[in-house]
Amino acid sequence: MGDDNCHPYFLMKKILVLSFIILSSSSNILAQKYFFYVAAESDDIVELIEFDAQKKEAHIVESIEVGTFPAENEGPHGMTVSQDGKHWFVTIAHGMPYGQVWKFETSTNKVVGKTELGLFPASMEISEITGFLYIVNFNLHGEMEASTISVVDPETMDLIENIPVGIMPHGSRISSDGNYQYHVSMMTDELFEIDTQRLEVSRRLKLTEKDMTMNHEGHDMKNNEGMMMHNTIVKPTWADPHPSQNMVYVAGNGSHEILEINTDDWKVTRRFNAGSGNAPYNLEVSSDGKLLVASYKGGAATGIWDLDEGKELAKISNSRKVSHGVSISPDSRYAFISIEGIGGEPGSVDVIDLRSFEMIDTIETGKQAGGIYFWKVES
Amino acid sequence: MRSFIKFLTVIIPVAVLFSSGLTYAQDEKLDIIIQPDEIKVTVGDELQLSAILVDENGNTLTDDIIFYSRSRNNVAITRDGLLIAKNAGTFTGLAQYSGEYYSGRRFRKSFEIIILPSPIEDVTIVSVPENIYEGTTIEVGVKVTDQAGLDRSNDPVILSTSDESIAAFVNGKLKTFKSGKIDIKAEAGGKMAEYSTKILKNPVQSVEIIETVNKARTGDVVDFQAKALDKKGNEITDIPIRYTFMAEPDDNLATTVSGQVSQNGKFVANIPGNYTLIAQAGSAIDETNVRVDQRNVKQRLEVVGHGPVLDVHTSDLWVWEGVDGRDYAVTGTWGANGDAYFWDVTDPSNITLIDTVHVDARTVNDVKISEDGRIGVLTREGASNRKNGIVILDVSNPRDVKILSEYTNDLTGGVHNAFIYENHVYAVNNGRKYDIINIEDPTNPRTVSKFELDTPGHSIHDVWIEDGIAYSSNWSDGIVAVDVGSGLVDGSPEKTGVAGGSPENPVFLGSYSYPSGWNHAAFPFKSKSTGDFYVIAGDEAFPQGLPSRNNPVKADGWLHFVKFDGWDSPDEVARYQIPEAGTHNYWVIDDVLFVAYYNAGLRIVDISGELMGNLYNQGREIATFEPNHPDALIPNSPFTWGPQPHKGHIFISDWNSGIWAVKLVDENSGLN
Repeated sequence: MGDDNCHPYFLMKKILVLSFIILSSSSNILAQKYFFYVAAESDDIVELIEFDAQKKEAHIVESIEVGTFPAENEGPHGMTVSQDGKHWFVTIAHGMPYGQVWKFETSTNKVVGKTELGLFPASMEISEITGFLYIVNFNLHGEMEASTISVVDPETMDLIENIPVGIMPHGSRISSDGNYQYHVSMMTDELFEIDTQRLEVSRRLKLTEKDMTMNHEGHDMKNNEGMMMHNTIVKPTWADPHPSQNMVYVAGNGSHEILEINTDDWKVTRRFNAGSGNAPYNLEVSSDGKLLVASYKGGAATGIWDLDEGKELAKISNSRKVSHGVSISPDSRYAFISIEGIGGEPGSVDVIDLRSFEMIDTIETGKQAGGIYFWKVES
Repeated sequence: MRSFIKFLTVIIPVAVLFSSGLTYAQDEKLDIIIQPDEIKVTVGDELQLSAILVDENGNTLTDDIIFYSRSRNNVAITRDGLLIAKNAGTFTGLAQYSGEYYSGRRFRKSFEIIILPSPIEDVTIVSVPENIYEGTTIEVGVKVTDQAGLDRSNDPVILSTSDESIAAFVNGKLKTFKSGKIDIKAEAGGKMAEYSTKILKNPVQSVEIIETVNKARTGDVVDFQAKALDKKGNEITDIPIRYTFMAEPDDNLATTVSGQVSQNGKFVANIPGNYTLIAQAGSAIDETNVRVDQRNVKQRLEVVGHGPVLDVHTSDLWVWEGVDGRDYAVTGTWGANGDAYFWDVTDPSNITLIDTVHVDARTVNDVKISEDGRIGVLTREGASNRKNGIVILDVSNPRDVKILSEYTNDLTGGVHNAFIYENHVYAVNNGRKYDIINIEDPTNPRTVSKFELDTPGHSIHDVWIEDGIAYSSNWSDGIVAVDVGSGLVDGSPEKTGVAGGSPENPVFLGSYSYPSGWNHAAFPFKSKSTGDFYVIAGDEAFPQGLPSRNNPVKADGWLHFVKFDGWDSPDEVARYQIPEAGTHNYWVIDDVLFVAYYNAGLRIVDISGELMGNLYNQGREIATFEPNHPDALIPNSPFTWGPQPHKGHIFISDWNSGIWAVKLVDENSGLN
């Protein structure tokens, strides 16, 4: 990864990011509007939401129906946006039996392509080095069995490969240079690293400490997704590589911690205790690399962490229960947290100011708001 | 999230300030040269590809190129370029470079891969009648296989004879003109098969329609099988007899096809009129006339009551006689708050909501009640903890329903449908299987077995149990019958009680699938009028998109009537297909079909007698009802989910408007 950072592309990117940070500190950032997509899994819709930073208000621009059968819940789950911003993608979790990824135009929010994947496809992201879309087949259903990462060319929607991985792969994100996809295997307590060009597992790391395996009796499983016991302790649910350092951060949903993994040494370097019962679920590192924002599914809250200090700066109660996804604006200023809710409740997105550490707005969405992904900023 | 989109959307304005000539466009001066330059292989072949990146002068920069296939099911390519041809056709591969010689992110080149089919290995003429008579038309079966062992019988086969004045192929069928010896030739892919045979003089002097009727109603299947006789009056059993008809419909402007004939001597008329039924063997013909009158089964339908549910979608229903002798119904809700509604329907004109059970779910898709009216089961989807599963209820007092237990073991993917049969719940879950759960102690359910197909990509939607046989609907795998304790020995259904199945040991009996892959429901019935045993396979499809408040969309699909004479001999003999609408759930009692036809509402259909053709065209509809309500979730739009006849009334659940009760008013007694 280090060699790639000398590539002209990365040099320019670093220059531009630095320039943006300098300029943004003195510019009219409050006049900006932030757009993102969030999937409402139990209403089979995707919401396009605009947050007006000046008014501190979010509103739904459009609710886009997805799915094929009105009387079947097909479950839009994971979201991502193409590199040129012209298309967005959503995974449809339930199928017959296989799920799909659907491709939409951002200009019209009309579907323009579909591809069948594996069982319960979930989170996904596009690699900048290959241009391919990497989708975890979460396979929440039934028997505990090894699953796959589906690789799709988002231009043509051809399925390029299914890469065999662990049990219940989840929470996938791709490194800044595009060379590696990281995800966790919930039911084997592992972090996986995928070589995005060769389409194979390059490394896997057991996240459980030895003493954890000796002391996990009575472990509280109630906040874990699904119910299948597979003797897991960390029960990791998300992985996100640092934008500029060789680190990956993992949500330990079962162990109520956030793990830092050094990708040079391929070792766990730090474990942040998120607090009993909080059950971190999704997380994201801000583009400036300073903050980590984690959804606490069990705690119905959002945790904001200083990565240098390894310290929780704030814990903010969410607008309702079952906190799910995290998306941070590219200027590292706002975090958008999707909240599932329970039963007939609407879902919601909480907007958190990452300077004041306050929730500044909540927008209600369709039921069970889950996958969330940033689209664009407009001035 | 490290997406480049963030980078672009935020940084572009700044990038303008820093524009330094760096480009992200593809560098036109480079090229990827792939060897071989023409990739043409045969199914089963392996070929090592190589590639280099070259500059504008053709100088090699690197061979660090990675390969991909855009059609992995037809052609596999390893990252290092080993190509494996799986299926014939023209496909696309991808060679990609990312590195120091290219200023953009990736340099790609697509290339064409032509995979030729494997050469034909063998052509065999596999079915020719032993005796072929002049003046007849017969089918000749040809089997073609290739060197890869694949069946290529659908490839073009050139059929010919050695003497076309004796016999010739016309549109793929052998037509014989006179007696004599011929060689039948079949050629495909350069391979040829020959079969020598003799065209016999036609001994038939007459054709005789054995027995038939001269009066019928629309939809009645008229049997007019014929026999061919020689000059001594002996029957010629191996000569093909062709059946056809001429129609003189009463209404010559009728827009539907007047009738249908099968080549086993059966005819059904769709519209009234006079019909001439014709049997032919060689030059011999017999005919008979039949007068067909209107079936005349229509009855008036009266709307008796409505239990409105206008704020959420209503899913399935179940109606039963409670332990107190009163009548009750339960309805589920869809995409809502996890509620199930209990209704007193003793007086169907006054359907009264008496209790609501709330569970952690967004959808209570299915509701079922045990045979003794004491236990209920709700299926859950969208539970906040994603455990889903089923909820077991004490419904002995439907005014005060109690939750006895929740059961989620191995049911996390959601339970879509369920059925209660003899103290067991059959729970269709995860879209893949049904678990069989013992509820003798409803507070402590336990899974005793499960049934799952092993076909590639198998999926399941629903299950219905009758006489100890579970009939599941499995989308592309069609309907599947499984013995879960039938005990039946002879008769129906369906002559198989020896499989030894039980809830603990479900045993596969038989199945039937059809090309669309739309199989969503299965319902068995033994015809009261004929004794025939059918499983009705129902479709669900929405090719025209999703409905919404402003777009009450049309569904698609129909009911397939599959006749079983033993589990290994399914025969799809008829359908019920309404144009521009689609089926959901249905029920049969005493040769009357009650079908919820989504946007076409409730349809009540006479399915007495032998079944053939499209029953919709045959005047078999007894009554129709399209429930709607101006204040419904989708206003004035029927979207009927399921029917259930109960004590002289028909109860239906409608997705948009709740539960309804209707009844038939018999004013002409036309129904058999």
